[in-house]
Amino acid sequence: MLDVSRVQKELVEIERDKKLSGVSVEISEGDLTRMRGTINGPGGTPYEGGIFIVDIQLPSAYPFEPPKMQFVTKVWHPNVSSQNGAICLDILKDQWSPALTLKTALLSLQALLSTPEPDDPQDAVVAQQYLRDYATFVGTARYWTETFAKRGSLGIQEKLAKLVEMGFSEDAAKVALESCGGDENAALEKLCSG
Amino acid sequence: MEGGRSRVLCKFFMHGACLKGSDCQFSHNWSDNASQVCTFYQRGLCTYGAHCRYEHVRASRITKPAPPPVPVPRHLPAAIPPGSNVDSNSTAETAVKPSSIPLKDAWQQNSGQNLVNSVAGLSLGEAEAEEPEPISNDPSDRPICAFAQAGNCPHGESCRHIHGDLCPTCGKHCLHPHRPLERENHKLQCERNKKNLEALLKSQDIECSVCLERVHSKPTVSERKFGLMSGCDHPFCVGCIRGWRSGSHAPGMDINTVVRACPVCRVPTHYVVPSVVWYFTPEEKEDIVNGYKNKLSEIDCRHFDLGNGVCPFGTSCFYKHAFKDGTLEEVKLRHLGAADGSTFIVKNVRLSDFLKF
Repeated sequence: MLDVSRVQKELVEIERDKKLSGVSVEISEGDLTRMRGTINGPGGTPYEGGIFIVDIQLPSAYPFEPPKMQFVTKVWHPNVSSQNGAICLDILKDQWSPALTLKTALLSLQALLSTPEPDDPQDAVVAQQYLRDYATFVGTARYWTETFAKRGSLGIQEKLAKLVEMGFSEDAAKVALESCGGDENAALEKLCSG
Repeated sequence: MEGGRSRVLCKFFMHGACLKGSDCQFSHNWSDNASQVCTFYQRGLCTYGAHCRYEHVRASRITKPAPPPVPVPRHLPAAIPPGSNVDSNSTAETAVKPSSIPLKDAWQQNSGQNLVNSVAGLSLGEAEAEEPEPISNDPSDRPICAFAQAGNCPHGESCRHIHGDLCPTCGKHCLHPHRPLERENHKLQCERNKKNLEALLKSQDIECSVCLERVHSKPTVSERKFGLMSGCDHPFCVGCIRGWRSGSHAPGMDINTVVRACPVCRVPTHYVVPSVVWYFTPEEKEDIVNGYKNKLSEIDCRHFDLGNGVCPFGTSCFYKHAFKDGTLEEVKLRHLGAADGSTFIVKNVRLSDFLKF
């Protein structure tokens, strides 16, 4: 059984501290086992200024089992799959402890963004680039952050206008864009699939 | 301590609920029998009659084995009105329905002296009959007045009972001025209770790092217990920490470095001690752990099974390893010297250890 009261306490704590910590969590559709976390890209890294969205699933044995986390926003990082956003982080696997919380796990992800571990990679291509051609890696990571992790108000308006031009209603397009973290293509896919 | 105790098994202890612990007047030894004598019958008050689950033994049989001087059924009081249709020769009959007699005892004891003598002499045995008046001249024999103890005695100076001195710890007038032993015991008990209460109060605010709730805010009493880690001082509910240590784990989790470790500081802990109160000094922790171990060492190990089984914990087991005749298992440790000069303790050697597959 999921420890509902613990999850609620965690959510309250995250909400209370979100300005300072740079991480936040929203419950999707009133289901406590499904959440959407956001991480502010750490300063001084190619991810600075980006807002990264993480899909969180709580197993029924939580907190005795780690939460399942995956990046929804595309990230160029040696420990995150550039294809599906899967994360390679020990505390989300065999080093999990029930004293860790969603907040500490998200903060660990934030720390992972600032200190990649190319020797234990999730995405071999990115890790290779990181080790062999660091300048290109930084460039690519920054470009991905600019493209996928930033939803400046102007950008959103433009994307919205584009989608409306394609024939979708403004409200639906807005909802789709928001739920996909400003990713225009994902929003389009979502709108098309119904 | 054992000497002052009754040989009668404490009925609260039998149900595992004796609150007096080592101060209980009754025996906490399973080899003693529980009292099977119906005290209501002895006073002529048992309304269960033949259906009573306790033995209906007359008081004189216990206090005095010699045959009583008064003839005929002794539990039939003289107070029964003449002409009553109770057959006074049929003991069986009266044993079945003693309820017709009794009510008189209770109030007659306080009224006429004659009646007291006659009734007490018949139903309470010789000892009581010779000295029917409970008030003795020796002040140490007089009981403490419960009214004065609670704060106000309506009888004031003329009270038949002793008015106790004020206990500085509990603030009640419950120290008997003429019973020094009882005074000391009460003081000790009171101080211990106060200490427990303070520890309990201080434990109220301690939170479990797993469920993030105060341990003492759990819904049921059995859940309101801490799990003390032998390796570190991080507080958890005993349920939470045991749930983590014994539950299912993600593949690849190492038992010794992750599961058996403290979830907060990752220091390995070999056993978890349950406790109602939290500790604030290393001595308090030691007391709790030792108390727990002592309690377990009185319980027979179910793996060892009185010598019929094998306990996987061997000599490290906290439970009692005793054979049927009560002798304890001999602790034998085989030390082996390794080639590098270090020694280690050998566990059971199996043939399969020498076979390579």
